[in-house]
Amino acid sequence: MSGITDIIVLIKQVPDTTSKAGLNPDGTIDRARAKRMLNPFDRYALQAALHVKKTYGGKVTALSMGPPPAVEILLEAIEHGADQGYLLSDRRLAASDTLATAYALHKCILYLGKFDLLFTGLQTTDGDTAQVGPQIAERLDLSQVTYCEGFSIQNGKLHARRIIEGGHQDVITELPALVTVANAYHTLEYKTIRGARLAQELLRDEALKNQYIHTITLDDVNADPELCGLKGSPTIVAHTDKVGQIGGQCTMHQGKSADILIKEIMDCTNIKEFAKQ
Amino acid sequence: MSDTDQIKYNLLLVGGSPSNLALAHKLVALAKESNQKLSIAILEKAREFGGHIVSGAISNPHVIKKLFPNYEELGFPIEGVCDESFFSVMGAHKKWDVPRPLMPDEFKKEGYFVLTLSYVVSWMANQLKEVIKDVPNVTIDFFPGFSAHEIIYDGNNKVIGVRVSHTERPDDDYVYADVTVFGDKGFLSQDLIQKFDLRQNPQMWSVGVKELWEVPGDYRNKVWHTMGYPLLDGTFGGGFVYGMKNNRLTIGLIISLDSPNPNINPQQQLQEYKKHPWIQEMIREGRLIKYGAALLPEGGYYSLPSKFAVNGAMLAGDALGVLNARRLAGVDMAMECGYQAALVLHEAFKEGNFSQEKLNQYQKNLQGTFVMKDLYESRYFRYAFMENPRLLGEYLPTVSKSIDTGSPFMGMLKVGLSHPLTAPFDGLRVKSLFDGKRDLGPLAYKPCREHIKPDFTPPALDEDTHYRKDTIYSRPDAVFYASTKYHEENHHIDEFEAATCMQCIDTYDAIGKSTPCVSDCTAEVHRVDEIEGARKHGMSLENCIQCRTCEIVCPEANLRVNPTEEGSGPDFLGL
Repeated sequence: MSGITDIIVLIKQVPDTTSKAGLNPDGTIDRARAKRMLNPFDRYALQAALHVKKTYGGKVTALSMGPPPAVEILLEAIEHGADQGYLLSDRRLAASDTLATAYALHKCILYLGKFDLLFTGLQTTDGDTAQVGPQIAERLDLSQVTYCEGFSIQNGKLHARRIIEGGHQDVITELPALVTVANAYHTLEYKTIRGARLAQELLRDEALKNQYIHTITLDDVNADPELCGLKGSPTIVAHTDKVGQIGGQCTMHQGKSADILIKEIMDCTNIKEFAKQ
Repeated sequence: MSDTDQIKYNLLLVGGSPSNLALAHKLVALAKESNQKLSIAILEKAREFGGHIVSGAISNPHVIKKLFPNYEELGFPIEGVCDESFFSVMGAHKKWDVPRPLMPDEFKKEGYFVLTLSYVVSWMANQLKEVIKDVPNVTIDFFPGFSAHEIIYDGNNKVIGVRVSHTERPDDDYVYADVTVFGDKGFLSQDLIQKFDLRQNPQMWSVGVKELWEVPGDYRNKVWHTMGYPLLDGTFGGGFVYGMKNNRLTIGLIISLDSPNPNINPQQQLQEYKKHPWIQEMIREGRLIKYGAALLPEGGYYSLPSKFAVNGAMLAGDALGVLNARRLAGVDMAMECGYQAALVLHEAFKEGNFSQEKLNQYQKNLQGTFVMKDLYESRYFRYAFMENPRLLGEYLPTVSKSIDTGSPFMGMLKVGLSHPLTAPFDGLRVKSLFDGKRDLGPLAYKPCREHIKPDFTPPALDEDTHYRKDTIYSRPDAVFYASTKYHEENHHIDEFEAATCMQCIDTYDAIGKSTPCVSDCTAEVHRVDEIEGARKHGMSLENCIQCRTCEIVCPEANLRVNPTEEGSGPDFLGL
C-alpha cells in the first residue's frame, strides 16, 4: 500500500492563446470576452495527478480560482478522470497578484484538509510568473519539487527527478509535498468516455453537479479579504505598453510547393528592396 | 452513478452522420409526443461534429423540410438555392453545355439546396442540443472525438454495443446499448455486414476529391456537372462545380474505383480538371481554402445488404449504401433512412423489442419511400457503363475531342459513323437501363480491386497549358489544406502482411508503375521505403484524411483503415 489517499491539482483557466478575441483597446485582456482554455501547463499537472491515482490509488481533487466560467476547466478535469472539483470564486479576489493568489489558494487547501500530494503546472500562459506554486508550498510549510519531470513513490516517500541546467537532479522527500510538473515524462492521455459522460450528466443535473463541483468563497475558506484581490496585492502595474499588433505586417506563405513559395516571397516588395540593398 | 457501472444507453449512434442526426431529431420529436423515456449517445470520430464530413453537396430539400419545417427560421445552413444548372461535356480546352432539351432530368437541379454538409451536420448536432432542453424524458450524450473500434455481441450474437478505447479498465472501454445504429461509411459496419453475411454483392466505391475556393466572381446558385476531361480513360466519374455564397466555389471530381487503371491519383486528376480554361477563368485570381476527399458507395440497389437490421443493430446512410449515383443524391436518402429508422425505433423502445424482426420493419418501411423506389429505378445505372466499356472508353473521348475541335455534334456523328451498327443500339440500351425499364434481374459485382489491370495504361491526356501554376497543388501541398492533426503514436491503418506489400511493390516496380495505394492515396500517406536493399511499404499516417481509398484499391486486400482516435484526422469543417 502506498498510503496515498488524496491528491490535489491546481489548475487555472487562461485566455485561449490561439484567439485574438478579448483584447481591450489598450492591449490588456478582457477576460469576460476572451475565449478560454485550460492553462496548457496544467494539463501536465493533471496528468501527473491522474498517474498517481492510477498507480498508487487516491482521489484527485482539482482546485481552481477564477470567475464562474472557470467551472469549465473543472469539468474538463472530470472528463479526464478527476474525482471532484473546487472553484474558489469571489469578486473580492479580482486583480490578485501572485502573493494574494497564493494566500487565497493556500487557505483553500487548508480548507480541503488532508492531502498527500499537491501538483501544479510550471507556470501559466497568461501570467508566466511561475511563482504561485512555490509560494503556496512556503505558506503551507511543505517540501517542494519544482521542474519535476518524473517521480515515483517508495515507502511513503517521493523520489523525484528535477530538470536543472545541464542535467537533472534526483531528490527524495517526505509526503505531503508540492510538485510543479514539467512538460515531460507523462504522455498526455485523452479524456475517457466515462469522464465525458459524467461531465455531460453534471451539466444536465444541477444537484448532481453540486456533489462533484463545489464553488466556494473567501468566507468558506476563512480567508482575510484584506489580503486578497487588489488590496492584498503589493504589485503595482505602473503602465502597459502596447507593442503593436503581432502579425500586422506579416503575410504567411504556406501550403504551396517550394518553387511557388519562393516566387511569392521574391515578389514581395520589401524583399525586393532588401535584395537591392 | 458509480465509477464502475457499465456505460449503457438505450440507443447508441455510431457516427455523427446526416442519417444518424436525422434519426436523433425525429426520435426526439416522437418521444416528446409520447413521453417515452430514452437515453441516447452519439459517437463522432472527429474533434467536432462535421469535422470529417465531405460532400458536394447539392440536395433535394424535401427531407430537410420534412424534418425542420421552419428550417429558415432555425438558421439551417444553406449555401444557396440552385437557380441554374448545367450538364456539360468537357474537352481539354472547351466545354459544351448540353442544351436543356437534351439534358437528362437528373442533372436539372433548380430549387435544390447547395450545402456545405459539414456545416449541416454541425448545425444538426447543435440544434439537437437546443431541442433536447424541452424534452426532459430524453437525454443525449454527445461524444465528439470518440470513435467505435469493435462491435460487441452477446452470447446470442445480438449487438450490445461497441468498444471505444483500450484502457486498463475494461469498464471504461465499452459503450453498451439496447440498439446500436451504424451511420458510418463502412469503417466498422463492414464487420457487421460480414459477420452476418448481409451483402451478397460487394459495395462499389467511388472517391470524391474536392477543393473549396474563394474567387472574385459571384457564381452563387449556379451548378455544373461535367463528364469528359480529364476522365477519358474509360473510368466512370465526373466533375462538379457549385457556386456558393460569399464568393466561394466548390470544385470536385468523383472517380469510380472499379477502374482498370492502377494509378488513378484522384488528387492530381482534380488538378488536371482545374487546368481547364473554364475553371481557370473562375479561380485564376482566387484562393484555395480547403481540400478533402471521401468515398461514395455507388453500388446502389444490388449492393444493399439483404437485411437492414440484425438483433440489436441497424444500418443507415452510407453504412447501408443508399446513395443514388444516377441522381447524384445521397444526403436526402441518408436523412430519410434516419427518419424511417426513428419511426421503427420509437415503437421498438415502447415495446422493449430489439429483435431483428422488429428492427427490420425499417427495411419494409423504406421500401415504401422514394429511397428504395429511386434505387430500384436506377439499379442498372452503373451497370450500363460496366457492361459496355465503349460508352466511356470510346464514345465519350470522341465527343470530348470534337468539342475542342469544333462541334460536339461532329463527335456524335463520328461515333455513329464509326459504329453504325452498335452506336444506335448502345444508345437505346443505355436509355432503357438508366430508366430501369429493362429488367436484367439481379447483378453480380466484382470488388473494385479486382477491376484493376496492372498493365493498363491510360491514353495520354491533352492538357491546356495556359493555366496559372499557383492554382495547381501537389498532393503533399493539398494535405496542408485538409488541416490534419494527429496524436502521438497514431497507428490507424493496419497493414496485415508486410511480405504481401513487398510482393505487390515488386509487381508494380517491374512494369514501372506505382502500387495503387501509393498512387491513389488522396493525401500522400503511402510510400515505398528502401530498407537494406528491400523495397517496403511505408506510411506517413499523419497525412491521412480518412478517405479509405487505399483499403478499397489495395489489390491484395492487405490494408484496413480504422477510424482515427482522440479526435485526430483532418478538419473538413467548412469544406
